[in-house]
Order: sequence, then C-alpha cells, then structure tokens
Amino acid sequence: MTLLAIDSREAPRRRLFKAEDRPLVSAGLYLALALCIALPLTLMFLWSVADGWQPPSIFPQSFTTSRWIHILGDENLVAALLTSLFIAFTVTILTALIAMPTAWAMGRFPFRLKRLVEIFILAPVIIPGLVVAVGVGKVFLLLGLAYSVAGVIIVQIVGTLPLMIRLMSATFETIPDELIHAARSLGAGTASIVLHVILPLSVPGLLAGGLMSFIGSFEEFDKSFIVGAPVIQTLPIKLYMYLDPYSMQLPLAAIVSFILLLPALIVFIIAGRIMRDDLMAAGMGKI
Amino acid sequence: MMSELEIRNLTKHYGETRVLHPVSLSVERGEFVTILGPSGCGKSTLLRILMGISEASGGEIHLAGKRLDLAPPEARDIAMVFQSYALFPHMSVAKNLGFGLKMKNVPKDERAKRIAHVVDICNLHGLLDRMPRQLSGGQQQRVALARAVVMQPSLLLFDEPLSNLDAKLRDSLRHDLVALHRRIGTTSLYVTHDQAEAMAMSDRIVVMNAGRIVEIGTPLELYRSPRHVFTAQFLGQTNLLTVEASGTGGRLPWGQVITLDRPATGTAQVSLRPENIAIIADENGVATVSSVAFLGATLFYTMEIGTLSLKVSQAGGVDPLSVGTRVSFDLAGPVHLLDHLPMAEAA
Ligand SMILES: Nc1ncnc2c1ncn2[C@@H]1O[C@H](COP(=O)(O)OP(=O)(O)O)[C@@H](O)[C@H]1O
Ligand SMILES: [Mg+2]
Repeated sequence: MTLLAIDSREAPRRRLFKAEDRPLVSAGLYLALALCIALPLTLMFLWSVADGWQPPSIFPQSFTTSRWIHILGDENLVAALLTSLFIAFTVTILTALIAMPTAWAMGRFPFRLKRLVEIFILAPVIIPGLVVAVGVGKVFLLLGLAYSVAGVIIVQIVGTLPLMIRLMSATFETIPDELIHAARSLGAGTASIVLHVILPLSVPGLLAGGLMSFIGSFEEFDKSFIVGAPVIQTLPIKLYMYLDPYSMQLPLAAIVSFILLLPALIVFIIAGRIMRDDLMAAGMGKI
Repeated sequence: MMSELEIRNLTKHYGETRVLHPVSLSVERGEFVTILGPSGCGKSTLLRILMGISEASGGEIHLAGKRLDLAPPEARDIAMVFQSYALFPHMSVAKNLGFGLKMKNVPKDERAKRIAHVVDICNLHGLLDRMPRQLSGGQQQRVALARAVVMQPSLLLFDEPLSNLDAKLRDSLRHDLVALHRRIGTTSLYVTHDQAEAMAMSDRIVVMNAGRIVEIGTPLELYRSPRHVFTAQFLGQTNLLTVEASGTGGRLPWGQVITLDRPATGTAQVSLRPENIAIIADENGVATVSSVAFLGATLFYTMEIGTLSLKVSQAGGVDPLSVGTRVSFDLAGPVHLLDHLPMAEAA
C-alpha cells in the first residue's frame, strides 16, 4: 500500500516535453551557452585590447591594439602554428590507429580483470603530464628522441590515447554481433567487414575521439615543453613565452588563449556540420 | 541419395555444459523445416554452427553433397534472417540488398536485376532509398528477408524472425513467408519457440528440448499422434492421463473405459486433446465445470472429475455453461497412446 501511495504522488511529476515548452527550454540553453562561452570570450577580448582596466569600471578606460600587432607580427608564430598543426594531425591519426585494436578487444570481448585493465589504460590521465614528461624525457635522451618532433608526438600520444581507447571501446560495444555475423554470412571477409561495417559505424566515436586528440595535442604544453623546447616550438610553447612573470599577465594571457581557442572552435564547428549529416548520424541510430 | 542438408551427430559443448547432444537431421531439397523448442534448448546454437559463426564440437554437416562445416562462413552458400533484422544501419535499403551481391562479385547489371526481382516478391516498392531506421518493424523484416533471398542461397536460415513483431503483423508476415517459399522454393530451416507459427508454416517440424531432438514429423502427425509427452504438451493444449491398458482397451482413473488407438498392456499414458472432449450439461454427470473462458471462436472450460481436472474446448457459437454446472462428456474416436516414458520427462 505504501508503495502505491508513493507511486501515485510521483506520477504527476513526470510530464512530457511539449511544443509550448520549446521557447523556454531553448532560452535556457542559449543562456547557458552565453554564460559559458560568449561571456568569457567577450571578457577575454576586452582584456586583450584594454589599455588600463581598473576594478571599479565595467569597461576598460582606453583601448590599444599594440599587443595584438606585436604578437601577430612575430613571423615565428606562423612557423609554430604549422608545427603545431602537423603534430596535432599526426598525433590524432596515430592515436586512432593505436587505440583501435585495444578498443576492439576492450569493447567486444569479455575477459577477466577487464576493470583492472580499464583503470590501467586510464592511468596516464591521473598522472600529471609533467611527471610523465620528466620520466619519459630521460629515456628519450638515451634514444635520441629528445628535442625532436617525433619525441613530442610520442609524448603527446601518451596523453591522448586513454580517452581515444575509452571512446572507441564504447563505440565498438554498441555494434551488435549479429550485424557482423550478417555481413559475414553475406560473403564479407574480415577486411570487407572492417571497411564496410565497422568503420562506418565507428565514425561518431572516431570523430569525438579525433577531436579530443586534436585539441589535446594542439593545446598541450607541459609534456611538449619538457621534451621538445627550445628546439621544437609548438604554438603553446611559443605563446607561453610571451607571458612575463614580472608584469600584468591578463592582457597577454587573453591573446594567448584566444589564439589557442580558435582552432578548437573551428574544429568543433566542422564536426558539428559533419555530425548533422544523415550518413554519419546513422552510425549512432538504433538498429 | 543424399538429402540437400544432412546434419550428422552434431554436438556442441561450452566447457562442461553440453548445449547440443548428438543431433542428426536431414532436410530435403525445397523443404520448409521448422525447429521448434523452448527458449534455451539450443536452436540458435544449431543455426550458428550451420552459419559457421560457431564451431561444432563434433559431427558433420553436408549441404548439396559438399562438406559444409569445413568452409569459412563467408564461403558458405547460406543466408540468414535474424530476429533483430541486423540491417546495416548506415546503408540505404538498396545498399543493404546489394551488399552480399557486391561481396560475391556479382556483376552490376545482374545485381540490379536480382534486386529488382526481390523488391517485387518482397513488396519493397518505394523503400529502396530509405534508411533502415525510417522503416517500420515489418518493413525492416521484409528487407532482411529480401537481403537473404537476393543471394539465391542453397539454404535459408531463419532465427525467430517474427518474434519482435506484434501479433497481427506476425500473422500477415507468416503468410507472406509461406507464399514466398512456395514461389522461390529454397530449402529453409526455420527456428521458433512459437508452436502456432511452426504448425502454420512447416512441411515438417523438428521438436527440440534441452539440446536433443525429441521428435520429427509433419504438423498433422505431431499434433494428432505425438510419440512423446513433451511433443504432446508443447504443440497445442492437451490432457495427460494414465490408463490401465489391455489390448486396445483402457480404463481411465475415474473408471471410464475407452478405446486406445493402438494396443498396450499395463500402465500407459494417453494424450487427450481438449477439442476431442464433448460436454453436455447433465444433472447426473461425473464432472463439474470449474472455470470458463470465452475466447471468441472457442469456449475453454476446465472441469473437475474427482481430484483430476481436464481441459475442454468447444466451438464458441453456443452459450457457455456456467461454473458449477454438472456435466457428462463423450470422447470423439480412440484416445491417443503416448510412448512409454517416465512422467518426469513431461516437465
Ligand atoms: N557462449 C556460450 N557459453 C556458454 N553457454 C552458452 C553460450 N551460448 C549459448 N549458451 C547456452 O546454450 C544454450 C542454448 O542456447 P541457444 O542456442 O541460444 O538457445 P535457443 O536459441 O534455443 O533459445 C543456453 O542454455 C545457453 O545458455
Ligand atoms: Mg535463440
């Protein structure tokens, strides 16, 4: 009887999302978006062009573009950007390639100690990049990988791999066995199954993991700094050099953040476009 | 002369657990055979072995005179229709239908011709450009069927293909399937736990239980004269009774003397179908109606005779007798004697 009473009290609370709720819900979502993204971006922009901004005033007293001109005028910046892009692309592709087999095993086969292996795979996320880099740096010196692009790529993959494995194994888990059996019974060999069934259905996971890896690599500082600097100058390394510990940080930091944020935004917008495409979205649909 | 499909002493075990005890079965060319059994009896396991997804622990399979169990799954001339449809969600209906043909390197114009043909026989007009998620359950199942049929395999396998559909759709697809089989004539092995489906569709039914084949026969044979208690109970409803037999005569527990359909001596078991018992209200009758259910076309009674209760059915056209009515009854024709088996196996 008590159970029934609770049930009947709870029931009216559950209520369907109706068409007239739409303006309210979207207003809320847009507000959240504004608070989380637009507001910080605006503040950052204001800081980057402020020429003196004292606490009581809401807007900067005067503006200057000199800092932007100074930083953007640095021709090494373009070189650093290209290095960073190259490294980010390579890291993303290698991460995907390395993650696939592990993720497949994790996602498709039940085995003992699976939880333990999962924790083990995620361990690099817990350990600070600095610790990893210092440890790895020593080995890299011996192997001749220190101060090389290859070294930076390898040390960054340590950071991007766990998330990619996690995302891909979650994606592989959602592919039903019967789909693979159906493909096989229709005459598809292993290569065809991977190419025509598994890869297309993994696109959402690959895209998500790829984005995370790309941005993770593009913005990575501490590991790249220890393994690569000063020979290898990635964009973050280059930009962080502008920060001057003996003066006001905010205006320069704002510019640095802006430049580092830009590719992430571009990549997310592109991804959003692709995900909206029917073909890709189908991978996430139910069977 | 070898049958189209020959399964000989097939076994399967996972570690210590035996899932298939030696199973032997032959299916003639063009035959529609149903494997009927409760959930977990090993039906899917058998199909998976036929498909090559799972490996048998022992035994041999021959299809069209060739050893089947030695070929890899993609080289077997078999197509399967799955319970979950297993359509490729990222491919249009047309691409789903063409997938197997493409994998088997069928030339493009031949491909188009065969797809056009199955679209016709499976009634998929206008659906070719849709994605699977834009189809209803019934449409998805027809596409899954077409995707198997377009391969023109030597053997079609079905693993409970209708069990995810609602009752009405299931009925209409069942008819479509029978009509399709009549038209294409492909040897088919159909798995289900639904006895009505098995009865309606099959040339022969293979009754399975706990990894063993219990009995094989036509729907009529298995329904009218099952040998095993399990078959009698699994196909339709029945009353299982013990009789004291001598020759073709038998005495029921409440003393009534009946005719058996074959001679026996000593204690034996009979299966008495509810529709073979005719009841009429009778003040001096030996039985009492204890429940009535009106199912439209039939009236379903339970009646008590002493400590026993009997199921009785009657055409639904008459007025139902009310609970508590005393009745007497007649048995239509001789009563069917089951093979002598311990009662325990009936469970
Ligand atoms: N991989 C497996 N390991 C152990 N037991 C299994 C495995 N697959 C199936 N079984 C067992 O085999 C039996 C038959 O399963 P299945 O063929 O799927 O039955 P059905 O299709 O008749 O419902 C079940 O009892 C099931 O638990
Ligand atoms: Mg099954």
